[in-house]
Amino acid sequence: MNNRLRTRGLQEAASLIVMLLLIIFVMSQLTDVFFTARNLRNMMLEVSTVGIIAVFTTMLMISGGLDLSVAANLALAGVIIGRFQADWGILQAALAAVGVSTLIGALNGFLVTYVGINPLITTIGMLSAARGIALVVADGLTLPVFDLTGEATDAYTLFHQLGEGEIAGVPLPIVIMVVLLIIGMLVMQFTTYGRALYAIGGNADASRLAGLSVRRYRMIAYTLTGFSAGIAAVLLTARLYAADPKAAPSIELTVITAVVLGGVSLAGGKGTLFGTVLGVLILTTLLNGLRLQSTSTELQNIAQGLVLLLAVGLDQIRTRNINWLKWLRTTRALPAGQPASNGGN
Amino acid sequence: MITLRKATSLFLATAIIGAAAVPFAGVIAQDGECPTAQDSYVIGFANLTEDIVFTQLVREGIEGAAAEAGNVEIVLADNRLDGATALANADNFIAQGVDAVIEFQTDEAFGNVIMSRFRREGIPVIAIDIPMPGATFFGADNYTAGLLAGEALAAWANENWEGGADALLVLELPQSGPVPAARMQGMIDGIQDNLETPVAEEAIYLLDSKNTQEESFNVVSDILPSIPDAERILAVTINDGVALGVIAAAEAAGRGEQIMVVGQGADPSGQEEIIKEGSRYLGATGYFPELYGYQIIPAMIDILECRPVAPSVYVNHEFISAENVCEFYGETELLAEFCAE
Repeated sequence: MNNRLRTRGLQEAASLIVMLLLIIFVMSQLTDVFFTARNLRNMMLEVSTVGIIAVFTTMLMISGGLDLSVAANLALAGVIIGRFQADWGILQAALAAVGVSTLIGALNGFLVTYVGINPLITTIGMLSAARGIALVVADGLTLPVFDLTGEATDAYTLFHQLGEGEIAGVPLPIVIMVVLLIIGMLVMQFTTYGRALYAIGGNADASRLAGLSVRRYRMIAYTLTGFSAGIAAVLLTARLYAADPKAAPSIELTVITAVVLGGVSLAGGKGTLFGTVLGVLILTTLLNGLRLQSTSTELQNIAQGLVLLLAVGLDQIRTRNINWLKWLRTTRALPAGQPASNGGN
Repeated sequence: MITLRKATSLFLATAIIGAAAVPFAGVIAQDGECPTAQDSYVIGFANLTEDIVFTQLVREGIEGAAAEAGNVEIVLADNRLDGATALANADNFIAQGVDAVIEFQTDEAFGNVIMSRFRREGIPVIAIDIPMPGATFFGADNYTAGLLAGEALAAWANENWEGGADALLVLELPQSGPVPAARMQGMIDGIQDNLETPVAEEAIYLLDSKNTQEESFNVVSDILPSIPDAERILAVTINDGVALGVIAAAEAAGRGEQIMVVGQGADPSGQEEIIKEGSRYLGATGYFPELYGYQIIPAMIDILECRPVAPSVYVNHEFISAENVCEFYGETELLAEFCAE
């Protein structure tokens, strides 16, 4: 990475940190509850589901992919646990759920990379199919997930610990999210696979000519995104003691908003997991603060929508390298004599 | 091996037994003091969703009742029809230090985990419509509510269609489990037990409304061509919006005169349809969501001040038709003109 790109990356991260600190400051002024240990813990637990999926969605989007089916995939994995816990055992059902989610991710990857269907169409189709299958598997009901027979107490205790357990006072879902995040960062920074995702997202044709297996790398990225939906489903089901075929409504939009806000380009090739962490934290902090204020749902939706628009707008500016002075001059907002700097480049 | 249906029933039974097995007033200390009694209270209200009229009316009623009480501040949250959101809201209420919670959440399956949080903190809960273990129940008597509508529709058919019907469309909501199912069963029983000639089993069509007007329009539009000879069609629906979809579909098919519909809710959209001249919406069982708060807030204050409260408080349902709508809603802006005539 050359110095100019590194400098720009640092500037973007700095601006996100400033935005996050500003939101934290405003929210802490509005309510005393915001900075309590309990609220911070709640907030981090809320982050964990979105965060786990966001880690792998970041990697996918950097490679130029997109997955809108993660919420439906998560819901399907949850009901697989609920439906088959009695037949297979809870831990085996959880493993099967992660397996099914991973397969769905792989199928998305196959359809996009090998069959050549547009990622948007592929994953919207998968969204619809997975949600429908989830409703069929669950018979339309929310399924309780606990030891109904009293014969597998230890396994259930272990399972529910995944959602409710703690390590040194930190909830296990958060620990798992952080571990996955660190692994993701190491992969993106220090492995051929990570470098390849940037290259493929930046220019797939050039990457192919350079000998990279674009299809294989993208396929892996889709598969891992499916895997993350499965992991998130296990943690959520373990915490809720129930599996809902309608679970995680619109979580894919929250994930994409956070990822794009964090600096990942919709066009691929740009972004970092650190930026995604900041994006997730900004979004979660904002929504948590609004909820603590008893802000109406409409305003929360508006806030989230505006953040998404802001994120996409910033992405467009970054992608197109807009020279603002030149733009202002062409729109006659500035006199013709003023020199245009090269600021956008 | 335990079946899914058994598991659901077992869970529901656990929830209801749990709800019945706890004290229904705040715990009085040994010195006779009521430790939860205060001059003023902060009560959390987590609404089912803010996207439908019924729940908006519930929220407005609770806010109105709190204002009337004078010493109650309401902290609002939206469960967005989602268990994870309901759990997050419960955690937020605890962080905010609320004195009590009114919980209107989506499914009894989430009740255990949510209630375990509140029990640990000693926070009393009133659960609306969905029983939760350890919470005082407030809400609809779903089967009775259904029965009222079914009986009214049967009475209408006895009077106008010689006591019979060629088809019965049941616009249900299977995905939401036993609560709406009890409502639908009540309507079917109300018709079959009171119609002079019950509808033949094979002429009863169970249709998934998905709780939306659009979907009910679609499924009824699909079914009508398959019953071309049915000239007397009865329809029972899960709520007003679904009823409007059914009527629109029948009218679009040119068969408006062949159908008569009842529903549940009698919210403003339903009332508007009920009072239309020649309406095919006979009426709907009223739930009076706007009045929930005026029963719930005083009950919650009683719990907080250690006065006994019944374990389950049910809404007094009434079947609302064009004949009696003015008794209940005559003072509303919507019906002012109609009721003045």
